[in-house]
Amino acid sequence: MSIGLEDYIFVSVLLFAIGLFGVLLRKNTLVVFMCLELILSASILALVAFSRYHATPANPLMEGNTFVLFIIAIAACEVAVGLAIIVALWRRNLTVDLDQINELKH
Amino acid sequence: MDLGTVLSIILLAPLVSAGLIWLFARQRAVLAMALSLAAAGIILCFSLYILLGGWNGEPYEVTAEWLRLGGLSLSIGFLLNNLSALMLFVVSFVGFWIHLFSVGYMNDDSARGRFFGGLSIFMFSMLGIVLADNLFMLFIFWELVGFSSYMLIGHYLNDEAAQASKKAFITNRVGDFGFLVGIIMVYWTFGTVSLTELDHILEHDKSAVTAIMGLLLFCGVVGKSAQMPLHVWLPDAMAGPTPISALIHAATMVAAGVYFLGRTFLLFTPDALVIISWVGVVTAACAAIWAFGQRDIKKILAYSTLSQLGYMVAGFGMGSLYGLHAHGDSHSALLYGVGASMFHLTTHAFFKALLFLGSGSVIHACHHEQDIFKMGGLYKKMPLTTIAFAAGVLAIAGIPFLSAFFSKDAILYVAMKENYGAFIILSITAILTATYMGRLFFIAFLGKPNSESAEHAHESPWTIVVPLLVLAVFSLLGGYLWMYPKPLQPIIEGWVPHAHGADHTTMIVISLVASVGGLAFAFFFYGRGSATDRLEKIAPPVYGIAKSKFFFDEAYGYYIRKVQDRFAELMAFFDTLLISGILVRGAAGVAGLFGIIARRLHTGSVASYVWWFFAGLILFGAFAGGFLDGLLR
Repeated sequence: MSIGLEDYIFVSVLLFAIGLFGVLLRKNTLVVFMCLELILSASILALVAFSRYHATPANPLMEGNTFVLFIIAIAACEVAVGLAIIVALWRRNLTVDLDQINELKH
Repeated sequence: MDLGTVLSIILLAPLVSAGLIWLFARQRAVLAMALSLAAAGIILCFSLYILLGGWNGEPYEVTAEWLRLGGLSLSIGFLLNNLSALMLFVVSFVGFWIHLFSVGYMNDDSARGRFFGGLSIFMFSMLGIVLADNLFMLFIFWELVGFSSYMLIGHYLNDEAAQASKKAFITNRVGDFGFLVGIIMVYWTFGTVSLTELDHILEHDKSAVTAIMGLLLFCGVVGKSAQMPLHVWLPDAMAGPTPISALIHAATMVAAGVYFLGRTFLLFTPDALVIISWVGVVTAACAAIWAFGQRDIKKILAYSTLSQLGYMVAGFGMGSLYGLHAHGDSHSALLYGVGASMFHLTTHAFFKALLFLGSGSVIHACHHEQDIFKMGGLYKKMPLTTIAFAAGVLAIAGIPFLSAFFSKDAILYVAMKENYGAFIILSITAILTATYMGRLFFIAFLGKPNSESAEHAHESPWTIVVPLLVLAVFSLLGGYLWMYPKPLQPIIEGWVPHAHGADHTTMIVISLVASVGGLAFAFFFYGRGSATDRLEKIAPPVYGIAKSKFFFDEAYGYYIRKVQDRFAELMAFFDTLLISGILVRGAAGVAGLFGIIARRLHTGSVASYVWWFFAGLILFGAFAGGFLDGLLR
């Protein structure tokens, strides 16, 4: 059994769905943040899969792979910033429950 | 020196003086006085330079474009001809003596800086009217004169003065509305507002002139020269300081209307002239009657001014008609109206300025007592003022061979030739004039003092007396040709209609009977220095009629309360409903509604934002996939 493009897309959609429902349903900021990372992973998985399957020997389409490396690097930075914000929130409010963090509304 | 430079100096000197007073001398009374007097002196010197040789008597015009709005070009410029030279002489000459008088009269006033600044602004505005070479410039200065008059009437800052200044300004605005429409109509019809160009066009072809045009222009005159029915502001304007009453509300500003008639005399058709004449005649007669109901020395003089202005306007109307009928429809024939009115304007400026300044001298001496029945016996305390005032009274009464005899006779003569009814009314008015002036003089100056303040009266300082004596000389001799500089003589000599032969005798007899008879009647009827009005005692209804002023003020008050204010309320209602209600609040309301909806979306719950985000994602996906093509097309 060979692994085709459809399988990659299936995994990607699965990851996106898990991420989306995690964001919608979970209340813990840390978990929501992890789910957001899952959504990001879903999209880069789709990107690299499309890139691989459209490549030909004459045109190997290395741009997709390069792009994905960059996205992973930037996502790592973004995780550092996001986690720092969450730690700051915890220190300030002693909670990371999303329903209670709504100061910007008021 | 170049004539244009001289005229610019004349016009700008008072403006510079007013500016300097405004900047540096509002609290420095002596400096303000000096600046204003210096400006008046400069005006007089340069005017005399023009009249005594600096000008050859030919019409002189210099003009410069000021503004161009599409096809409409507004220019400023000077037009010096015989007529404006005469008016320049009157304004600068009378103006200078009144400035000098003010120095003495206002010596205990606390706001002299403001007063003298206002005087200078007035001189600037008035000279602008005199020299203007087109109707738009004239209109600008016309409004400036109204403004300076407003400022000076309200000088004393009390309630009466505030009301009077407002009334004067608003009444003038009513007339000026018609005036402006008239000017626009002239521009519409002839494509120019330059007086010289209008003259050139009208000299050859007068068919485009309509009666309405003349009457609209006359509206401005009715306001400024206080003719019926817009005369109500002038008596109230006496709330201002007396020199202001003399300069603005007797000698020069109110005469601006008559001067304007003379400046544009070709724009009036015979129909319009008939109406103008009757407005003048009615004003002259009514104002003379009202003068009998007044006790305030300045109010009496104010009504006498109204009456004399009526004479001038009537003289313009009937003089022009007389010229038309006697000498045909030619340029020079119409000048009879200009001559008759301008000659009376000139003599009136002398004797009315004299009378007002005389009354100012009296008021100053009597510690601001203005009721003539509380004066009396002033001839012993103030001999020079009395002599000068007597000269003014004799002049205005029309005693033969004094100034007003000649000028009033010219008007009576054209009235006799043109309209016998008007002639009878004006002759009776002449008798009334002599009578009320006699009443004023005999009660205030002769007999015994009737009050404490009159007993302690004393002769005024030289700054007050000298202008009185100078003006007295001109009031007595102002009817003679040799009193005037050479460039002015053609007006007095050629333009003023003169009676000949039997008519001449008739005029002298009428004048003699009217003036001497009126004065003698006043002398015997009112008595010397009486403390009460005999007319009020023996015939209260007659006195009441004179005092009522025919209920003009009441009628206007009623109109404003019942009609205008109601209308304004209605307009205010629609304004609240449509403009504030629907347009302003409506627009704000729509924005507010969107705000309310948008605020609902801002829940503060991350999950709901993600739902919106997801919905947006689906929408974009659908758009990219082409599912929305049917909807968007």
